[in-house]
Amino acid sequence: MKEKAGIVDTLEERQPYITRKQEKGQTIPLACDNNSLAGAISQRACVYSGARVVLNPVTDAVHLVHGPIGCAGYTWDIRGAKSSGIETNRSSFSTDMKEIDVIFGGEKKLSNAIDELVGLYHPPVIFVYSTCIVGIIGDDLEAICNTASQNHNIPVLPVKSEGFKGNKSDGYKAACDALKKLIKIPPKEVAGEKKPEVSPQVRNPKINILGDFNVAGDVWLIKPLFEQMGIEVIVSMTGDSTAKSISRAAEADLNLVQCSGSMTYLAKWMQKEYGIPYLSASFFGIEDISLALRKTAEYFGSKEMKKKAEEILETGTNRIMPEISRVRERVKGKRAAIYMGGPAKALTLIKGFAELGMEVVIIGTQTGQKEDYEQISYSVRNGTVIVDDANPLELAELLVKQKADLMVAGVKERFIAYKLGIAFCDFNHDRVVEFEGFDGFVNFAREVDASINSPVWKAVRQRTLKPEAMELKRAAVKERISGEPHAKEYKNVEDMAVEPEFLHPNMDAATENQVFGEASR
Amino acid sequence: MTKRSYVTVNPCIMCQPMGSALAFKGIENTMVLYHGSQGCSTYMRLHLAHHFREPVDIASSSLSEKGAVYGGRENLKKGLRNVINRYNPKVIGVATTCLAETIGDDVPAIIREFKEEEGIGDDPEKDIIIISVSTPSYGESHVSGYIKALEAVVRKFAENQGEERAIKIPNGKLNLIPVESLSPADVREIKEILEATAENYIFLPDISETFDAPLRDDLPKIAPGGTSISEIADMPNSRASLGLGIVSKNLALEYLEGYYGVPGQSVPIPIGLSNTDNFFTELVNIFGCPIPDKYQAERGRLLDAMVDVHKYLYGVKAAVYGDPDLVFSLTTFMLELGMHPVLVATGSKSRDFGMKIRQIFKEIRPELEPMVLDGIDFDSLNDAVSDCNPDILIGNSNGRYIAKARDVPLVRVGLPIHDRVGAQRILTVGYKGSLELLDRITNTILEATDTFTAPVQAEPAAYASQGTEEECME
Repeated sequence: MKEKAGIVDTLEERQPYITRKQEKGQTIPLACDNNSLAGAISQRACVYSGARVVLNPVTDAVHLVHGPIGCAGYTWDIRGAKSSGIETNRSSFSTDMKEIDVIFGGEKKLSNAIDELVGLYHPPVIFVYSTCIVGIIGDDLEAICNTASQNHNIPVLPVKSEGFKGNKSDGYKAACDALKKLIKIPPKEVAGEKKPEVSPQVRNPKINILGDFNVAGDVWLIKPLFEQMGIEVIVSMTGDSTAKSISRAAEADLNLVQCSGSMTYLAKWMQKEYGIPYLSASFFGIEDISLALRKTAEYFGSKEMKKKAEEILETGTNRIMPEISRVRERVKGKRAAIYMGGPAKALTLIKGFAELGMEVVIIGTQTGQKEDYEQISYSVRNGTVIVDDANPLELAELLVKQKADLMVAGVKERFIAYKLGIAFCDFNHDRVVEFEGFDGFVNFAREVDASINSPVWKAVRQRTLKPEAMELKRAAVKERISGEPHAKEYKNVEDMAVEPEFLHPNMDAATENQVFGEASR
Repeated sequence: MTKRSYVTVNPCIMCQPMGSALAFKGIENTMVLYHGSQGCSTYMRLHLAHHFREPVDIASSSLSEKGAVYGGRENLKKGLRNVINRYNPKVIGVATTCLAETIGDDVPAIIREFKEEEGIGDDPEKDIIIISVSTPSYGESHVSGYIKALEAVVRKFAENQGEERAIKIPNGKLNLIPVESLSPADVREIKEILEATAENYIFLPDISETFDAPLRDDLPKIAPGGTSISEIADMPNSRASLGLGIVSKNLALEYLEGYYGVPGQSVPIPIGLSNTDNFFTELVNIFGCPIPDKYQAERGRLLDAMVDVHKYLYGVKAAVYGDPDLVFSLTTFMLELGMHPVLVATGSKSRDFGMKIRQIFKEIRPELEPMVLDGIDFDSLNDAVSDCNPDILIGNSNGRYIAKARDVPLVRVGLPIHDRVGAQRILTVGYKGSLELLDRITNTILEATDTFTAPVQAEPAAYASQGTEEECME
């Protein structure tokens, strides 16, 4: 018999990646930031995917995937990042490497492809992603891109994202490395005039928002808030950004970093290179929006700006509060499970759920680091399970054992929740409404309400029709029919349980069988 | 047309490993493992989950840099071990990716080694069967990946039988092997037809349950359903094999014929009148069974509907695209209906495709001149659509950009369908499926051309000058 020491039954090597919230001051005994275990069915993708999700929202760029067709095909327009102008990024470009390219090298095809794309689309920048195979056959991406840059007089930037060379986080880094090359030295820097270390009274304050990808138009709900405070948002990286707006990023006085997992690396570089400090921020939920605006006003230090920020927060909060309260009444006390790509979104969701009166019972990420999990552990209640790089079986068992009412995650997780009869909210690429800003939070609250309070969950509790159970209510009809019924009589009313057992699990070893069925063991 | 020689814009095919999953997932109690980097499995799971709206678990050997340099042997073995430990499958389909192929891993040898180490034998009754297939992403397309995986499956059982293959025990069954992945609803319909005619049949691969699973009292780790091991092992004993699809080569069917002498015949996927007639005729030929009244009635209903809609559809210009055999059968049906398929295209590279399509035009409507393209991407399809100016598009959901941009309606058929629900339940085969498709096409055209429903002036104010309601009634 296998010993079931862990929180869920899983591979021994996976056990260190699942733990519970720790008492204050204790370090979290959670393994993380490692390559996924073979055969464990990680929900993670690869280095290329990390790079692609970060860069793809750059709207006027040609995103050319140097590799076989699959890598480009599966990532064609899968991120709902909106553009206010050109939408070159929504097309999928590939060198479609064939066997012959693998044998003789794909360099020639790549450089021809770049020439062709420049002629057809006249893009201001081309990102060239390398895939697994490029890393193996050794095409010299850098040299080809350099030559193409010179020939066409536009940046043609290699993104070193060979799928196997690390994990998704390494892809974020590869993307940031490409972005770095797009950022131009600001005019005053060229003149040799260094910016002061801290600039409390900047006349025309400018910021960048790092790590907002404008999914469903999020950025468009955030930018106006800063503009009302008298702050110019130079660029949001990378949601609704262009080669030009990115190139101006170094003119900013401050960077606000939302998706910390992908963008802290770039923020640190900009601090070192251009002396631009950064603050972490989130624009999801009333508490975090307030924090973001106040922190920013505090940084610039102007009384007027602080006052304006308070005004914005008061107006916004008052405006949405009736609706939030209404939803809160309908969802409070419900239990949420969070499984996100990055830790920043997971952390801000904890607060968001608290604002709706819900508690978090499971929280996990694909790419969290030790310090992220420390903070997560600090932010959640006792008993909450924390998991790194979870797989479908672990998630399914956790959802049942932790009695979750709702899961927030992406497409692959959606159907696990649905099959278990658990509500779901997509906080990834697939959503079509904004979740950030005041109105975004209303959208989120409504979606949570719509899923949790849908009558379908009541319906799916009874998964097989039991006519005998129905008949009990309608004895009158039966009596009017003459003759013997054909159906066999059911003796035990207790046999007619209407809810599947696994919806009320015991925490013992039998749970596994209840969740996954005896047959599959 | 935009002349492009080196770059593919908006692909119309997916890669080989994905096709292999569509095949393997139709076998009972089977897990799939991609030997390659972690992303391949995640991306393809996403793609399939999106389409079928089901959980799709596919394992990966999660090759890292170390694996890529020193070989993926240990990762593959570990992956297999972990999959067995957690999922306890009866079969594991191992498909390679470009990475595994290029670093030169000898997958069959690694699997042999693994089996020795773990004491796994070749007895399908008690041992886990590990089937490997070589499906580098840089070769052909998902269609070939699917075909190769099915061949690998029947081959595997042949290998296991070894010397015993000479002894055949005729089972009187029919092997039914589609050359492209059909929808779960299509598979269900064909099985129903077979039950009413051939009675004894083996359908490979049967995704009718695995990719369209009902909500159950439990959540099985591996979705129930699929062709059983014993059925696959029994395929060499069958009376005949019937392949669905005539453009792509049906390697599994050919293998059963060549190696075991099971007579094989391929017919078009039964979409439309003549293709379905063909299908039933083959069943009658093989089994001498009568055509059940139910299907005669369904055929009659299809004919009745074809007559009902013939004027709506005559001369309607259509562009159809997708996997080669699906497109072939859809084109046949449209020609039968009097439609004018101006553009017939497939993403797969196929010499036979153009030939077969032109042949069917010659047979049914020799006066029409279609544009026939293979190996297209959606960018070149877009160019072709602008040249041909169709009234309707028929194909998978990736054509939605073209449809929206040109304000041409799109009837969704095939894979992927990511922007609408019910992809797993789209029925196009048999008389019943053809009828459903016919209704969808016709209603789509009616919806698009319906300008009469909204009166110019919606308010009854127009009647005001003609007196009150009471006066009118007098």
